[in-house]
Amino acid sequence: MILQICFKIFLIIFLSSSINANESIDNKVKNLTLELRCMTCQNQSVHDSDSDYSRDIKILVKKKFEEGLNEKQIKIFLTERYGEYILFKPYFNSKNLFLWLFPFVLMIISVMVLLKSSKKTKTK
Amino acid sequence: MTSLIGFSALSLSALLSFVILIPNSILKIKVKYFLIICRCSTLLVCASFISLIYAYITSDFSNYNVFQNSHSDKPLIYKITGAWGNHEGSILLWICMISIYGFFYSFLSKALENFKRTVLKIQSGIFIIFALFVIFTSNPFLVNSVYVEEGLGLNPILQDPSLAIHPPMLYLGYVGFSLVFSLAIASLLKDNFDQAWILETRKWSIISWGFLTAGIALGSYWAYYELGWGGWWFWDPVENISLMPWIAGLALVHSLLLVRGEQVIEKWIVFLAILCFSLSILGTFLVRSGILTSVHSFAADASRGLFILLIFFITTGFGFLVFLIKSPTKKNDLQLLLINKTSALIINNILMMIAVLTILLGTIYPIIIEVLTNTRISVGGPYFNSTVLPILLPGFLLMSIAPILSWQTNRIRKFRIYVIFFLILSLLISLQSYLTSFNTWGFIGLLLGTWIILGSLISIILRFKFSPSLNYIKTINSFVAHIGVGIMIIGITYSSIFQKEYIYNMKIGEEVNFENQKLKFNDIKIFEEKNFQSLKAVFSLEKKGRFINYIEPGKNYYPVSKMITTEAGIHHDWLRDIYIVLGSENNNLWFIKVYINPLVSFIWVGVLIMIFSTIIAVLKK
Amino acid sequence: MKKITLLAPLLILTIICLFFLFFILFNKNPNDPPSALLNKDLPKFLSANLYDDSETLAPEDLKGKYTLINFFASWCTPCRAEHHLFFKISEKFPELFILGFSHKDNLNDSKKYLEEEGNPYSFVGIDKDGKIAFEFGVFGLPETFIINNKGKIIFKHTGPLTKKVIDNDITNLF
Repeated sequence: MILQICFKIFLIIFLSSSINANESIDNKVKNLTLELRCMTCQNQSVHDSDSDYSRDIKILVKKKFEEGLNEKQIKIFLTERYGEYILFKPYFNSKNLFLWLFPFVLMIISVMVLLKSSKKTKTK
Repeated sequence: MTSLIGFSALSLSALLSFVILIPNSILKIKVKYFLIICRCSTLLVCASFISLIYAYITSDFSNYNVFQNSHSDKPLIYKITGAWGNHEGSILLWICMISIYGFFYSFLSKALENFKRTVLKIQSGIFIIFALFVIFTSNPFLVNSVYVEEGLGLNPILQDPSLAIHPPMLYLGYVGFSLVFSLAIASLLKDNFDQAWILETRKWSIISWGFLTAGIALGSYWAYYELGWGGWWFWDPVENISLMPWIAGLALVHSLLLVRGEQVIEKWIVFLAILCFSLSILGTFLVRSGILTSVHSFAADASRGLFILLIFFITTGFGFLVFLIKSPTKKNDLQLLLINKTSALIINNILMMIAVLTILLGTIYPIIIEVLTNTRISVGGPYFNSTVLPILLPGFLLMSIAPILSWQTNRIRKFRIYVIFFLILSLLISLQSYLTSFNTWGFIGLLLGTWIILGSLISIILRFKFSPSLNYIKTINSFVAHIGVGIMIIGITYSSIFQKEYIYNMKIGEEVNFENQKLKFNDIKIFEEKNFQSLKAVFSLEKKGRFINYIEPGKNYYPVSKMITTEAGIHHDWLRDIYIVLGSENNNLWFIKVYINPLVSFIWVGVLIMIFSTIIAVLKK
Repeated sequence: MKKITLLAPLLILTIICLFFLFFILFNKNPNDPPSALLNKDLPKFLSANLYDDSETLAPEDLKGKYTLINFFASWCTPCRAEHHLFFKISEKFPELFILGFSHKDNLNDSKKYLEEEGNPYSFVGIDKDGKIAFEFGVFGLPETFIINNKGKIIFKHTGPLTKKVIDNDITNLF
């Protein structure tokens, strides 16, 4: 009974958080440039960096958003020139499959191993 | 002259350590002399390091290292800290610490003499490998071939208090694990896993982990106020490198606690002990070989990289080889119930291992891909946030109920009280989140953090009778540590998710309002310091008409190195930090970025509590 | 089963170390990422001649020749450091078309720079707004590319060229 109430509260909260308000272009620029590497800096994002390069990229990204492209298209546009190196969040492609699936697979394996060994203890 | 003394002391120290390694069958050394030789080796290497510091203090530019990294105009304190602010000096400090840990072990350990010898032999072995590295590739005692008047090293970024103490703290952590490694290998070779060994290994693991925590925290704190991006963790490769042994060390410390419940997983403990130090060496390799792009810049050199790679391979390989061959065979009778403390600890160990492996993969994946496909990718913050955080979440969940669990049974005493309090807390938090700006991650982080604090707090109150004594503090120590973690989690959640950023272009005299506070741009001041010029913008912060504080972001210009650094102006408050970065000026309008970082103080407070609890844990009853 | 799990750390260690070893041996430079355009076609551009407005250059004009493209500017110090090497390159490879782009630079400053340091380029193009460099994925000066006679980019170097790079990497391309 208590569990049901808790679950319902959780559901309400989770659903209300998924309402996506229409983001302003500046917000879109901020979110994307946080994921872009400043190529002339030592491991900083374009959003955080002050360099000339970052300023140019920020202007470029804003222009592309205004032209109507979405985040994915802009990322493709940039990686065609700078390579995937510019993305802090690696693509989910065949090359990076191992990278993305590794933690997930490990988790599943450990859950299975744990369940197996707890069954063993029960049958003892 | 100092260079000669320093180098001789170093070489002699290495030679003595080499003597230690001679097996008993060839040269029988009595324990008394064995220990004396060991300790002399330590004293010599310390003398070597002191002579390097002396060279820095006296600005002895005949020493090439001092010439490269120091300058007579540097303030004295930074001349000293400059000794370890470069590759050669820092590696010398590293081997000093390897030796010092052995030194203290030789005095403090109550182990049997045979066992002690083995541990010290392995420690000496580690020392020699690194000492050879210093002597042959990273010698801080090279002499300048020409006479020079002045040094080159006046990098302003290095002249900073927390950055000065950050490497020594970090190394005390990394190198501490070398002793834990030696203890583990010795236990494998001598087949000794008794209670005394467990307690001793636990003590040294806690000490190392404590120092590592302090080192990482200092680095984070420095990044926060110095780098001017309002953040304190960037999943930068160098940060990941320090995080891996930290998590592994945490797993080790927890596993060593299993002894309290009379259940020991020897194989796992030994494996973790070897892993921690291996990760430390890996970290050293990745940073100093220059194969990773990161905020940390050490002058990179291919030959050095190869040498450290060799050290890493040999030491780690040796460790895991001994582990393979002489692995303890005792079958452990573990009481694994769903759910008691043992199983919770095991689950957490597994989660921590997965986290470590994920961070490792993410950090070295670009290297693997570039070798295989000749393309370069980046694995940055977004990857780790999407993978490591979800892995750790169930861990934090378990942490909140762990203090309540018992060792032997899966029944929880006073179950109802816990449930009631947890429910009330959850409802309060849900309400609070719903009424303010809601965010899923923010909600989860806050909930977990408060649950952890609540679980530990209730346990302390219900289970232990208060008495103002060290004994009481030691008993509640682990609960207090977890409360520290809970506080830190709340701080991390809030400061990252609910951080606000405001951008203004202001001229002198203007004021802006945000969140019922007023920020007034008073003035621009220019100072001439000893080796730099400083430009500061003076802001005054007011709340409801009352003056709170001056905030002074600025820029420093260092004429010798022609570098400009941005200094953030920060107003610290228990509930939030107001963090201002000064940009460039255009037509008398200054570009200002104001970050509001809520609950940052909780992060530092949480970390301090954790460090404090490691100190308590090591004290004798 | 047990022995395998004990052997795993050693195996993983060896594999990881091999990757590191190869990375170091291949002379990979963290500051010089491999180009995204490697083995791809030359990007489209249209550039006027620095010395003659009416003359323009586009990729079609480079068909059938090996081309070296160098992005430079008068305000770029490392560019000055590598500048003399282009004369040596043009001596060593007389068939090579050396194309220079004045990148984000005042045109008069560029002309003056080439007067002072000499002009090794077969053609000096103008990239004042940086758009051409952007298409090439240039992010910092100087950057040098080599295009083969089929119009594909076969080499890129970020940062100033050195004699070592020329001897080891570039010479092998022809």
